[in-house]
Amino acid sequence: MRILVVDDSTTMRRILINTLKGAGVTEVDEACDGQQAVDAVTATQYGLVLMDWNMPNLLGIEALKAIRALGNTVPVIMVTTEAEKGRVLEALKAGASNYIIKPFTPAVIMEKVNAVLGKSGASIAVKA
Amino acid sequence: MKVEYINPFVESVYDLFTTMLGCEAKRGDISMTRKNDPPSQSVVAIIGLSGSVCGCVTMVFPARTAIHVAHRLLGCQIDELNQDVMDAVSEMINIVAGGAKAKLNGDQDKPANLSLPTVIQGADYKIQHPSWSVWLDIPFESQLGPFNLCVSIETDHARKGIAS
Repeated sequence: MRILVVDDSTTMRRILINTLKGAGVTEVDEACDGQQAVDAVTATQYGLVLMDWNMPNLLGIEALKAIRALGNTVPVIMVTTEAEKGRVLEALKAGASNYIIKPFTPAVIMEKVNAVLGKSGASIAVKA
Repeated sequence: MKVEYINPFVESVYDLFTTMLGCEAKRGDISMTRKNDPPSQSVVAIIGLSGSVCGCVTMVFPARTAIHVAHRLLGCQIDELNQDVMDAVSEMINIVAGGAKAKLNGDQDKPANLSLPTVIQGADYKIQHPSWSVWLDIPFESQLGPFNLCVSIETDHARKGIAS
C-alpha cells in the first residue's frame, strides 16, 4: 500500500506520515501543493491520497477535480481546516472519498483511512 | 467588532491543544489593544480571512513556548528556533483560524477564505495595527508555556447591520 500525503505544511506532512508509519504503512510519498499531487498520481499508482485544501499553486480541491478529470479513481481523503458544510459537500461532489477536519487525533486518521480502504477491499492493521 | 466573535477562536485554541498537543490551554482576561509589544525573542504567526468573515488573526509565542509546541507536535527534539518551529506555528494559526471561521460562518453558501499563513521571528519589533481597527488580545497559559491570540474581524452580518 503506497500512500501520497499532500500538504504545504511540512509540519502537517510529518504528523500524517508519522501517523501512517506508526500504523505500519511503509511506503509514503509527499507533495507540497496541488500541482505536485496531480503530477504524482499521474506518474505513480497510489492506494490512497491524503489531500489538504489550502495550498499554493493549485488548491487541493482543484487538484482533486484534475485527478478525477484524468479518469483516475484513487481514493482521496481531504484533510483540512475547511470545516463548513458547503466545503465538505463540494469535496464529496468532486469525488473525495472522505473528509477529515483539522485538528485531529491519530485514531481519527486511521479510522477514516481504514474506512476508505475497506471499501476497496484493503485495510491497514493498526499497531497496538 | 463584537467580543462574542472571540469565542470561536478561543474554542479553536482549546480544540487544537486537547486534540493535537495533549494538554489544555487556559484563557486569561480579554483586552482591547491597538499595538502589541511582543516578548523578546518571539514568534508571531499571522493569517488573514476574506469573504463573509474578514480580518486578521495573530498568535504570539515567546521563543520557549514556540519550541515546546513544535516539539510536541512533531514528536522530535527541538532546541532552538528553526524552520520546524516556524512551520509548526504556521500550521497552528491555520488550524485555529480555520476552525473559528467555520463556526462564525455557519452554513453560508460561500465560506470565507483563509490566506496562507505568515510567520515573523525576531527580538526587536512592534506590531502596529491601523488606527481604525479594533483588536482583541487574549492571553493563554498552557503546559507548553504562555502565548497570546489577537483577533480583528468582522462578519457579513455585522457589516450589513444585522445582529449575529
